[in-house]
Amino acid sequence: MAPDVKEEQRVIVEPSDWELVRKCQTGDVGAFQELAAKYYQKVFMVILGILNHREDALEIAQETFYRAFRKIREFRGGSTFYTWLYRIAVNQCIDFQRRQRRAPAEVREAIDELLYERGEHGTDPYDALEGKEVMSRLLAALNDLTPDHKAVIVLRAVEGLSYKEISEILGCSEGTVMSRLHYARKKLQEKLAHFL
Amino acid sequence: MTMDCESVRRTLGAWLDGEVSEKESREIRAHVEACPSCRAERSRLERLQFVLRAALEEGASKVTFESFWHGIERRISQGRVRHREFWDWLRPVILPRRLAWAIPVTVVCVLAVLFAEQFFFGLGWGPRSNVAAVESIDGHGFNLALLRESETKTTVIWLFEDEDEEEDEPAPEAASTDASL
Repeated sequence: MAPDVKEEQRVIVEPSDWELVRKCQTGDVGAFQELAAKYYQKVFMVILGILNHREDALEIAQETFYRAFRKIREFRGGSTFYTWLYRIAVNQCIDFQRRQRRAPAEVREAIDELLYERGEHGTDPYDALEGKEVMSRLLAALNDLTPDHKAVIVLRAVEGLSYKEISEILGCSEGTVMSRLHYARKKLQEKLAHFL
Repeated sequence: MTMDCESVRRTLGAWLDGEVSEKESREIRAHVEACPSCRAERSRLERLQFVLRAALEEGASKVTFESFWHGIERRISQGRVRHREFWDWLRPVILPRRLAWAIPVTVVCVLAVLFAEQFFFGLGWGPRSNVAAVESIDGHGFNLALLRESETKTTVIWLFEDEDEEEDEPAPEAASTDASL
């Protein structure tokens, strides 16, 4: 189904996404499943990058899609579908972190747990990225960033989104995105100085 | 004008992201090709981007869509169950069969509210009329009439003569004053 004539000018969703969105808006769960299959990995990557905790990331990613499903009738195609989806994901992450207010020690425990699992099983693909040390430092360095800084660097790394798209997702200016990215990269470079 | 290392490094990330103007891009490229230090910085930035993306990709690759979708589906079902439970709770209340007793009760309540004004004067929802507040006193040709209006707290006093009894008296006089006076 083509978008309404009235909406035609402002609909910038990819045609295939738009088709699926329109079906979802009529309550078609199957269409939503297709959208989820298309975007779940990238959404999960963004959330994992911000939260640095696999179980929490999985929970929040599923919650993101559930909320998207519930709110999809409100989506009018004013932005790309994935921009809209990432906005929900980032907001979910920020809300979650506010609720959790994890102490640094707990974050450290989560990283250690993750590293322990990898060391024990010995099959973790992260080992290909120069082993535990790089992973540990990367996670620790990411944890030292604020959620806003994490969000910009992860959105850029995962999806290669333009500064304009990132600014739309985070509700800030492109200049802010550029400066946050510069700062976040500098911090990560400092932490990973010996590995880059 | 060629760019110095400091300004190149400030915009190196944006340049790699393709977010600088064409002119600036040419200048940065020329500088990076000629400067080993900035070339190394470029490599570090690219490596960082690669490591971060690869780490997140690998993290995500462990999650299968089936298990991921199962979690979403469960939430959708639970949401629907909650929705259904709400309607199950609401339906008995609004079912026409159960509503039979409610209709006369509602009618009685509405009538009671309407008639309450008559028994408890001044409740505020009954008809308002200033005529009901007019009082007059006959004083053998010199008559006095009062009109009290409660909403604006205005009292109007009329002093007038009875036309049958008076012939040469002046015209009626009117005075208006606030009730608080």
